Amino acid sequence: MAIGISGYSAYIPRLRIKKEDYAKAWGSFSAAGVAEKSVMGFDEDVLTAAAKVSKRALESVPMAPDKVTRFAFASTSPPYFEKLLSGTVLYSVGMPNSAFSSDHTTSTRAGTEAMIAGFEHISANQTGMAVVVAADAPSASMWDSVEHALGAGAAAFVLSADNLVAELEGHASYASEYFGERFRPRGNPYLHDLNVKKYAEGSLITNTTRAANALLKSLNRKPEEYQHVVIQQPDARVPTTVASRLGFTDAQLASSLVSKSLGDLGAASVPVALAAALDVAKVGDQIMVISYGSGAGSDALSFKVVSDRKAPVKVQAEMDRKEYIDYVKYLKIKGAIV
Amino acid sequence: MYWRTIPQRYKMIGQKCKKCGAINFPPKGVCKYCQTSSEFEEIQLSGRGKVHTFVLISAGGAPPEFAEQEKAGGQYPVAIVQLEEGPKVIGQIADVDPKEVKIDMPVKAELRKIYTEEEVIRYGFKFVPG
Repeated sequence: MAIGISGYSAYIPRLRIKKEDYAKAWGSFSAAGVAEKSVMGFDEDVLTAAAKVSKRALESVPMAPDKVTRFAFASTSPPYFEKLLSGTVLYSVGMPNSAFSSDHTTSTRAGTEAMIAGFEHISANQTGMAVVVAADAPSASMWDSVEHALGAGAAAFVLSADNLVAELEGHASYASEYFGERFRPRGNPYLHDLNVKKYAEGSLITNTTRAANALLKSLNRKPEEYQHVVIQQPDARVPTTVASRLGFTDAQLASSLVSKSLGDLGAASVPVALAAALDVAKVGDQIMVISYGSGAGSDALSFKVVSDRKAPVKVQAEMDRKEYIDYVKYLKIKGAIV
Repeated sequence: MYWRTIPQRYKMIGQKCKKCGAINFPPKGVCKYCQTSSEFEEIQLSGRGKVHTFVLISAGGAPPEFAEQEKAGGQYPVAIVQLEEGPKVIGQIADVDPKEVKIDMPVKAELRKIYTEEEVIRYGFKFVPG
């Protein structure tokens, strides 16, 4: 029996800061290809964003929230290091307390980790219904150039065997040991990066191409058979590098390249980008999804679009709804002035 | 105690008076309308309503738990919102340019951070346009 995505939605916080404001403050801007990025409001965090977007995704499906049997939450920037996070969202959205919930938090791969956890649940329980949400707003020290790209966003998916928008064709993963790239030592709120660029790029390419090639092989597919490819976007250049290594083109990447105007969405990067691709995909289109998390690992998922039902709020509409803030206000909202 | 108010703050759970049928929100010990019954049935409110009236809180005007919000984000609106089920409730209007808040503007409740106390984040509803 086919399983897949029955509904989805994205949420992008309203505030934006432009790269020119960084250039004015620091003399340069280090996020390749990023023109502006999204910023959460002072009274938002990844849990409030997850609650909002989960509700939206549930409103987009003909099934009731009380039928949810599995809930998975993903973020690299949770407000607590210990305390269940998914419970806050599950409760406020009105999903059953008895749904099995899980938190996925330790790398930017967490978004697809949660999706695969949801799909595994549906594979084993075909009458079940899973909600998977990724919400992220990563933080780093303002002195660190890795901070420049960090944006904010969220996307949620309802997974089941009914009322499918996109059918899951298969998935594959690859995990390995790499260190020094994007990590947070215990007790440190900010992410670090040793900035060994070649080494980090080697990890990125190895993990993503091994996961994606394994999936292509198992489906007996070639990259050119896909209309869309969605790739982890720590900036707007990395996804084009990975795409060309795998044999995908910039045209296949175009529908999902949200980092140009939103920045690095961390664990929500691939989920928001997938929502953007689904927004414009036609019935019959195939979508290849490839995540990456430092440390390191990658998940690849392949979807076929089977319905033209779209999200209630499109990613493009969320990107267009914005208010610009300057760098000083950005520092205040991020809590960087203490 | 904050924990007891979580159903109303996180998901807008109100009460329907078993005697007069009026909807109470936030929940009360005795029905605010008939003032005789303390028997209620819990109901899920839609979170939708419109701005009955509002004020803008500016520098120096915020209570201590909201002072940091005012300093970081600037002026913020606080409204009395008339919910579509009837009750009027006080809440902040978020995700809006304060200058764009208008009486009768349609709003919808959503989960936001209210303030942090004893390192515990207090979540609850605020209203956003929509």
